[in-house]
Amino acid sequence: MANDIIIRFDNVTKTYNSNTTVLKGVSFELERGKFYTLLGPSGCGKTTILRLIAGFDTPTTGDVFINGKRVNDVPANERQVNTVFQDYALFPHLNVFENVAFGLRIKKIKEAEIKVRVAEALNFVNLTGYENREIAEMSGGQRQRVAIARAIVNDPEVILLDEPLSALDLKLRTEMQYELRELQQRLGKTFIFVTHDQEEALAMSDEIFVLNEGNIQQSGTPVDIYDEPINRFVADFIGESNIVNGIMLEDYKVQFAGEVFDCVDGGMKPNEKIDVVIRPEDLHVTTPEAGKIIVRVDTQLFRGVHYELSTYDEDGNEWLVHSLKRAEVGAQVGLDFEPEAIHIMRLNETEEEFDARLEAYTNEV
Amino acid sequence: MRSNLSATAKVYLVAVFVILYAPIFYLIFYSFNSGGTMNSFEGFTLEHYKAVFEDNRLIAILINTVIVALLSALIATIIGTLGAVGIVSMRSQKMRSTVLSLNNILIVSPDVVIGASFLILFTMIGVKLGFASVLISHIAFSIPIVVLMVLPKILEMNTNLIDAALDLGASRRDVLTRVIIPYIKPGIFAGFFMALTYSLDDFAVTFFVTGNGFSTLSVEIYSMARAGISLTVNAISGLVFVVTVGVVAIYYVITNRAKKMEAYNR
Ligand SMILES: Nc1ncnc2c1ncn2[C@@H]1O[C@H](COP(=O)(O)OP(=O)(O)OP(=O)(O)O)[C@@H](O)[C@H]1O
Ligand SMILES: [Mg+2]
Repeated sequence: MANDIIIRFDNVTKTYNSNTTVLKGVSFELERGKFYTLLGPSGCGKTTILRLIAGFDTPTTGDVFINGKRVNDVPANERQVNTVFQDYALFPHLNVFENVAFGLRIKKIKEAEIKVRVAEALNFVNLTGYENREIAEMSGGQRQRVAIARAIVNDPEVILLDEPLSALDLKLRTEMQYELRELQQRLGKTFIFVTHDQEEALAMSDEIFVLNEGNIQQSGTPVDIYDEPINRFVADFIGESNIVNGIMLEDYKVQFAGEVFDCVDGGMKPNEKIDVVIRPEDLHVTTPEAGKIIVRVDTQLFRGVHYELSTYDEDGNEWLVHSLKRAEVGAQVGLDFEPEAIHIMRLNETEEEFDARLEAYTNEV
Repeated sequence: MRSNLSATAKVYLVAVFVILYAPIFYLIFYSFNSGGTMNSFEGFTLEHYKAVFEDNRLIAILINTVIVALLSALIATIIGTLGAVGIVSMRSQKMRSTVLSLNNILIVSPDVVIGASFLILFTMIGVKLGFASVLISHIAFSIPIVVLMVLPKILEMNTNLIDAALDLGASRRDVLTRVIIPYIKPGIFAGFFMALTYSLDDFAVTFFVTGNGFSTLSVEIYSMARAGISLTVNAISGLVFVVTVGVVAIYYVITNRAKKMEAYNR
């Protein structure tokens, strides 16, 4: 199964109106039966990638493969792919049953089988009994589930979901995240999910692609991407983080905030300039004497589970801290952290270089 | 809603409608007059209506008129709907607005101009003036009306619906018949009925392009009226008026239903 590639992008670019390049050479491989997420800020090209997979647009250069076959010129209606649109795009002149049955009717499936399969699909999304409702009479969350049923009923190999949860309230949204993830595992289909919500991406995916300005910045499991962001953009976009400039003195020795610290990264040039990331939850508040960095508490917010402290060191770097205990605003405190909490990012390192370096210095040990 | 019109506004409104409708009702009123003229009402009679239905020539003209109206409205609706779909799917913005402007010019240009130019065209290419020439010209002036009625419905349609249909395996033909046409159906019906009424009461264009032996009601009424007062004209006019009211009523029922459907969209 390991090499069962269902979708492959080979150096795909997309240019609109001969001047705006929306995708700048995107390559990736997606395995069958996994849950993938495309994550990135608005306008980074997420929908464009989905449209290229679905066949609504063709790449300007490069190739798209589905099941090993080049599909650049295969029209949308001949691809084994179904889409859940950002705005659902349900047919307003058809009721729930007919919306879900649309694809089956096109394929001229027998009426009896259509009944069975639509009922099955509606059951999947917990909408049994809503067959005769008009679309106008459905709530936002119900419409979204009709859209999902309309896609899965065709038994496609790949389901594309374009920010399907963005319009829902927090509670329904969390509920739907569980339902979707569960649905994907039950069906064993390949899901490609688009979102600009990093928490959603971390919670649901087998693998995340972080995009920015038409480039894939980093891909990997949620844990990899959270723990080992490759650059400032990814570190900033995925979760909250403290990013400061530093110098890599030698392997496992890094200097920042005026001090030298032990760390677990290596494979760089001596005295190379780098970015240092420490997550707010990895910083612990102690006395100034026991702390590795001494900071002054500037503001404090209660976030329910924890307090979020904004603190500044002597050089004026901001350190966000998640602390279970209250701190005194204006007080001097020390911040302690483990060597493992320090994550080093080289400037302008590509994903391949990053992976190669990680490989090289972990083998050394 | 503006709740209360002032008293003067009400009086004004009533006066306007009385002035607009008085001649029509005056005319219909005298169609029941047993005296031969419109000078004084002598007694109630249906003999003028009877005269209409006994006059085979008149009945033939009535049938002609209806056939031309139905046929031209039908054909114009088909062509106009496909045209509107075509206009919307034009990629070039410039081309699209050019075509739209040409469409609108046809709607506002005077019937006399259209009629005269059709007359010249038909005589030039040698089409015999009669049923065919009337039908063709009615189709021609109805198409822009249909386009105008259908276009807004297509424009308000979410283009993702087309992508969604393609995504579900629909061919281009399926997209047209299963998504676009059902969606714009209210616009198509509105266009059809507009074309129907335009064709039914057209005088100017028909007057130019009709030939010997073929006539429509409005042209016939005109020549009858010129020949001298006959209350048969009143009776026909009354019938036409009733039919028109009927068509308008159907049109309203359909557009009201369309409004309800619009509630779906948001
Ligand atoms: N048909 C088009 N013509 C020209 N530019 C386009 C077209 N479609 C998309 N773009 C541009 O391509 C860029 C990427 O668009 P895309 O829809 O892929 O963004 P996205 O990542 O899905 O953003 P969002 O999160 O806001 O949906 C945007 O800058 C957009 O303006
Ligand atoms: Mg998008």
